[in-house]
Amino acid sequence: MIKPNGFTTRIIHTPYAREDAHRALHQPIYSNAAFDFESAEQMELAFQGRLPVHAYSRISNPTVENFELRIKQITGALNVTALSSGMAAVSNTIFMLASTGSNIIASKHLFGNTYVFFESTIKDFGIETRFCDLTNNEEVKAHIDENTVAIFVETITNPQLEVVNLKSLSDTAHEHNIPCIADSTLTPPNVFNAKDFGIDIEIIASTKCISGGGTSVGGLIVDYGTFNWSKSKKLASYAKRFGPYAFNYKLRREIFRNLGACLSPFAAYLQSLGLETLQLRFEKAANNCREMGEFLLTLPQIKQVNYPGIAGSEFHEISKQQFGKYPGAMLTFDFSTREECFSFMNNLELIRRATNVYDNKTLILHPASTIYCDFDREKRESLHVGDTMLRLSLGIEDIDDLKNDLVQAINKL
Amino acid sequence: MSAILVNGKTQEVELPISLIELIKKNNVEQPEMVSIQVNGEFVDRSNFDTTQINANDEVDFLYFMGGGSR
Repeated sequence: MIKPNGFTTRIIHTPYAREDAHRALHQPIYSNAAFDFESAEQMELAFQGRLPVHAYSRISNPTVENFELRIKQITGALNVTALSSGMAAVSNTIFMLASTGSNIIASKHLFGNTYVFFESTIKDFGIETRFCDLTNNEEVKAHIDENTVAIFVETITNPQLEVVNLKSLSDTAHEHNIPCIADSTLTPPNVFNAKDFGIDIEIIASTKCISGGGTSVGGLIVDYGTFNWSKSKKLASYAKRFGPYAFNYKLRREIFRNLGACLSPFAAYLQSLGLETLQLRFEKAANNCREMGEFLLTLPQIKQVNYPGIAGSEFHEISKQQFGKYPGAMLTFDFSTREECFSFMNNLELIRRATNVYDNKTLILHPASTIYCDFDREKRESLHVGDTMLRLSLGIEDIDDLKNDLVQAINKL
Repeated sequence: MSAILVNGKTQEVELPISLIELIKKNNVEQPEMVSIQVNGEFVDRSNFDTTQINANDEVDFLYFMGGGSR
């Protein structure tokens, strides 16, 4: 039998875990809560994890499982868990590894909600986040101590668009027996192979590029089985029993199960469908992004353009090494004032004012007044989220239409 | 015949027997999804056919449901 090698072929031809009764070409939506058992003995075996059957959809579900198996096919992961949002994937992962007294190393350049989760939410549980410059290995090393349980990084930070040398960072993590966790939402699996860069746990907000156009909210925890969990204080006892499956075992049988942030079967269906066209859509969007970035650079009204795919970006070379030709489909640019930003946004006719990225539609947002609105100006500036910055997530429309919209919006200023 | 422990229950088998033969003998459901521990150690899937089972070995067939170990 032919073993498919291509990225999209592997997604489309991922076998079902169990043959469908009607030979449906798409995994049907099993929206039920519970599953029946032939006998009490079968039920016992299922609860012991000794039968490949589903019991309750908060724990596992055939439609969700099919989506997870497809992600496994394209990432080469040992285990994949789909959750209700990207933030659920972040929070479940941190609760897997950290306890009171632990610390996590991260950059302050993070998606706003992730930053607040690290800076405030887990602080209430006695977990410290040590923010430092992840592009500086010596600084990272200086922040690590015996209570450090993870290094957390975004492959391209949102919205600063900073790119860290991931192999160097994961090497530092492993030298200190710490897992390296990467949120790769802005660089989906068709352009970024996390395992090649030493990432142990990958987090993806599948809401974004995978969902097929902002159809639904979801998140993924992708466990490569690469970290030696006997080195983790919290997972060492699990590592004795389950080796490389230690993380997955505790996640599925405790943290994920008990926090209850499961992906709905309907969302899993939509995201599984979206996954089939991920490569096609993302390459178009990333090409649009590069072309739009180069176009913005020619406009005198634009004070600054930031996109790792543009020659001249300080992260251009490292982006090429890590993400090839498609370093994301999102850029930022600056006008002279916040008022100009707002007027420009209000003048747009095709590009939508919305807080999502990697929709099929091109979306624009003023980060300082939205995602970062709870912070004062000084704090925002320390996070490099300026009042004159706009974030543009490119969709898959025809680039000339987007340029025309942008030009007419500028001309009305 | 020799005694081994399969999923916590004693089973009599004729030796020699490989792990892949034990999977067939036990009609293990969805063998492409199962993870197997022999005496507490996980066996790599690529070694199922070469791993030999010995008397008194403890074998566990486990499933990590939902994106588990296919």
